[in-house]
Order: sequence, then structure tokens, then C-alpha cells
Amino acid sequence: MSQINRREFLKLTAAAGSFPVLGFPSLARAGAAKARVVVVGGGYAGATAAKYVKLADANIDVTLIEPNKIYTSCPLSNEAMVGHRDIKTLQVGYEGLKKRGINVVHDLVTGVDRTKKTVTTKGSKTFTYDALVMSPGIDFQFTGIDGYNESLINEIPHAWKAGEQTLLLKKQLEAMPDGGRFVIVVPKGPFRCPPGPYERASLVANYFRHHGKTKSKVIIMDANDSHSKKGLFNQAWAKMYGWEKEGLGTNGMIEWVKGAEGGGVNKLDPKTKTVSSDFVDVKADVLNIIPPHKAGRIAADTGLTGADGNNFEKGWCKVEPMTMASAADPDIYVVGDSCVAGEMPLYGNPNAAFDMPKSAHIAMTQAKVAAAAIVAKINGQPVPQPYYANTCYSVVGDDYGISVAHLYRVEGGTFKYIKEGSGVSMMTMPDKSPVPASYRKLEAEYAVGWLRNVMADAFS
Amino acid sequence: MQDSTSIFSIVVSLLMACTAYAGPNITGLANTCNNCHGTGGVSVGESMPSIAGLPEGYLKNIMLEWKAGKRPSASMTRLISGLTDEEIAALAMHYSKLPWTPVKQKTDPKLVKLGKKVTEKCAGCHGDTGKSEDADTPSLHGQWSQYLQLEALKYRDDAFNMPNKQMVKAAKKLSDEEIKAVAEFYASQKNK
Repeated sequence: MSQINRREFLKLTAAAGSFPVLGFPSLARAGAAKARVVVVGGGYAGATAAKYVKLADANIDVTLIEPNKIYTSCPLSNEAMVGHRDIKTLQVGYEGLKKRGINVVHDLVTGVDRTKKTVTTKGSKTFTYDALVMSPGIDFQFTGIDGYNESLINEIPHAWKAGEQTLLLKKQLEAMPDGGRFVIVVPKGPFRCPPGPYERASLVANYFRHHGKTKSKVIIMDANDSHSKKGLFNQAWAKMYGWEKEGLGTNGMIEWVKGAEGGGVNKLDPKTKTVSSDFVDVKADVLNIIPPHKAGRIAADTGLTGADGNNFEKGWCKVEPMTMASAADPDIYVVGDSCVAGEMPLYGNPNAAFDMPKSAHIAMTQAKVAAAAIVAKINGQPVPQPYYANTCYSVVGDDYGISVAHLYRVEGGTFKYIKEGSGVSMMTMPDKSPVPASYRKLEAEYAVGWLRNVMADAFS
Repeated sequence: MQDSTSIFSIVVSLLMACTAYAGPNITGLANTCNNCHGTGGVSVGESMPSIAGLPEGYLKNIMLEWKAGKRPSASMTRLISGLTDEEIAALAMHYSKLPWTPVKQKTDPKLVKLGKKVTEKCAGCHGDTGKSEDADTPSLHGQWSQYLQLEALKYRDDAFNMPNKQMVKAAKKLSDEEIKAVAEFYASQKNK
């Protein structure tokens, strides 16, 4: 295994020789490890950060602290929810990272002392860091819907952290009789996986088609007025699920109610599974409430989240574009869903495209930027120019995949969205003819190949 | 005070100039490609090609074709179009210098046997095993079978209007089973 590490290390650092080495003070110490990096949270972002620090410099001591022994991928978990794939295909342990010499500790971080640069855990362990990677993902805010609270998540699953919750919702879907209503409540953005609720709606409708439950409905109660890949979703829904138009009471299997027309749910009657907005009441047979998000608790407790000021920073961690270092602390790097990188993250906002979506893919590129910046700093090298990229596939039916790509550079110290390197799958061919089914099938196949590679690139 | 400020600005400009002359951070850029194409460009996903060790000319050419809209694709056109020609050239060089690593996969012996026969007419350009002998031809030996099938289907499908007319002509002569067989044959070749 160490040979493979060395080979990959050489590959990854092959171009490093071309960088000018400037006179930053080196943190290198004689003897033991030259520096200590502690990673808080072992999702896609945290695992990738740990691995890429170790790959780039094996002499750095890397500790990853994560409570769970098995990680379940959120990407493609909608497929597991509707029974297209076994949830085991989305699960991975931490043995791959351990074999790379990363110290994996299964424990919960309860505190970070930014002055002493220490991390303490529930298991009463203390770890000292030179650089800390903060990647706790998201926490939910169980407020804002009258009658809804955390104790209800077994009856009303969110299935927005993959694993047991995914299987709970699956069970309810399978038990629902034909003619039932599967209601998805979507919170105000930003939330992780922007196309996720609409992919879920697509796959639930597909499930109904395959299981003779064609009188059933999927109703999306959306606090937002637009959403990711909207044109592509509507096109796919029209093709496969009888989509007609926005609003309640249409003939299609999927109904989408936007915020401006009463989609924003603010009340729940848990006994009857009825959700209400200022305009409508909708009774569900299966109810899936995705609560509003905020950065993981430990990020807030560490003082990295914005409290006031710009709305988009409230509850999230602002970062420095060149390095992913927290705007509040240069020795803490915030990567993954808990950071906000760019401008306003809400769909329907004219600046929406400038923000990085909360996806596994972009979380991993953020982690790689942070890892490179940490290694450069420890070795007294200049900050490497960062690249941030996203690819996000949604599987919306049999042999039917769509995607969105994003590319960001940093120019003049700020994130710059590169329009030419971004965008969604074609709505039509360049000559305006319909996109052939073979293109959609390819993207459905690519989604699976993508999953295997991101899981391995992060955890193996 | 003024002096030290101006010296500081000179130093900063020099540093910035230094960084600018260093060219693109190709390790950093390639790291974003690894998400889909595997750590170090060796894919573990069957529909995604390994790209480490492919010939530089081939890599550069297909990326420039995507960027120019001359090579239809489901995803890559969008991703590559945001890169400069300099970055594309450097990426091609980066991956071409990494070792070609045939991926471990199960193949169907019957299809491999059929594939060996069918690929006799491909040998002129692709060699007996799919190992690239020139800068513009990709290595196929030990590439993922599923990726090779998907790619061959694109050449056969008019909807994709692929740029290499010789490949289009060849692919159109193949049945579904033969396409599978060709992919399985090349996938089964383990020579480096």
C-alpha cells in the first residue's frame, strides 16, 4: 500500500517543481511529524482533505475525527430510497484512509479552542493542530414550521442525511396505497444538493409507474420560487410523468407549488400529516419534510458562522477564496456544505450562479484547494492558484440522466464564476431539435461512474 | 515610511509577477478532474475512462474539439469550455506523463474471443491489443469495457455526429454484440 501511496504522491506532485518557492517562514520541526492537521468530520469534504494533505506530504500528521464508522453517500441515495440500488453500494468505511497513514478517530468533536489550537472530543480526548479542517456538513433547524420538531423525524423522515432515514422513507413509500400523496416539503435555500428534492420527486413518480400506482401523486411544496435544472426537470417530467404546469391540481404525477403561490409550509398537523402555508392545506399519505439547514453545530460553536450582516452568511461559514480558510480564523479551513463560497446562494436570485452549490463534488474540490493551501503553508511555499469545479448528475427516470457543471476561479481575491465552463445539459440540440434519448442515457451511466470515482477519490 | 510602503508594493508586484509566470496550477486543476476520472487519473467507475497515460496529442485534441464544439458530448464540452488553451495543453501533458494503468475488471471469455476476431480490422490504427503506438490514438488496452462500449455506440449513433469519420465508418459496421465484444476484448488486455 505504501508503494501505491508513493506512486500517487509522485503523480500528484509532478508539477509542483514549477512553482517558485518564496521565503515564507517554514513551520518544519526537526524529528517527528512536521505539522499536525486535524479534520473535523469525515464526509466527502473531510475525507478528501485528509487524503490529499497526506498524498501531498506524507510527513504531515493527519487526524480525522468522525463519529460514524460507516459513511453513507447522499448522492444517489434517492435511487436507494426508491429501490433502484442497494444502500450498501453507497456505504464506505475509513479503512482506505487508515491505510494511507491517516489517524482515524471515531468520536464526536465537542469543542475547539482557537487560542490553544486544540480540539476536544466527547470521549475526553484532546488533539493539537497547526491547521484545522472544519467539515461537519449541515445541521437542521427544526424551527419555522408550527407543530414540527425533531422528535417527529421517524414518522416524518427528512431522508436528507443518507442512511437509516433513507430506508424509513423507502418503507413508507412502499406501504403507500395507489392514489396516495407523497408530499415533499422543500426549505428556503441554501440547502445541500440543490436538485435533490426534484430528483427525488422524479424517482418517486418513476416508482409509481413501475409499481402500478399511477393514480398516486408527488406534491412538492417549495419555499423557493425556482430551482436547480428547472427547465430540464420540467422537460423530463413532461416526457415521463405527465407534467403539465406549475401549481396544485394538475393532471400530471408531479405537482410543484412555488413559494409565491403558497409552497412555503409554515404549519404541520402531525396526526393527519397535513401541511399548510398561508394559502393552502395539503394532506399527505407519505410526508417528507426537509428542514432548513445551517452549518454543522461545531462550526457555529467555534465561532466560524456569520450571525448578522448579509443574510446568506447567517448560519454559514464565510471563507477566503484562495485557500478556503475561514474568514474568522486563518488556521481553520472550512470545506463542504457548511461553508458559503461566493455571493447569494438562492435560486431565483440574479446572482445565484455566483455561489457554489452544496454538492459532494464541489465539497471535494474545496477540500483539495484547502489541502494544497495547508501543505504549501506548512512547507513555506506560495499559495497555489485554486480551481473549484462541480459536476452534479440527477437521475430522473429509466436511462435518463441530466447534469449541471460549474467552474470557478479566483480573480482579484474573489470567487469568479466561469460561465463558459458551466451550465446544464442541453435542453435542445444546437439546431433546436429534441435531445436524443442516447444523450440522456449516457448521463445516467456517467452518474454511476461518477459515484464510484468520487467515493474512491475521497475514501480509498 | 513611504519608502517601506513602496518597497512593500514592489515586493508584492514581484511576487504576483512570479506567480503569473509560473503558469497554471496544473496539479490543482487536475485534482478537479480526479473527482470523475479517479485519483491520479485512474478510474474505478466503469462508465468513466482512465485518462492517466493516454497520449498527449490525443488528450489535447479531444479537449480542444470539445471546446470548439466539434466533438459532441453529454458533459465534457461544458466542463472543458471554461479552460484556456494553455490549461488544456498543460493538462494533456500532465496526464500523458502518468503511467497507463490497465484496470482490473471481469470480462466474458466468449465475447473476448469474438472481439479478438472483430478487432483484426482495427489493428491498423489500434495495434493488436489496443496499445497506442502514436500520439493521436488513445490506448484501449485495459480501459473500462463499459466506457469503450458507450464510446463506440456514440460513433455509431448519428445523433452524436462524431468527428473521426474513419471511426464512424468502422463503428457503423458493428452489431450490438460486436460492439460489446470489441470493448470486452480491449478491456481484457493487461499489457502495459
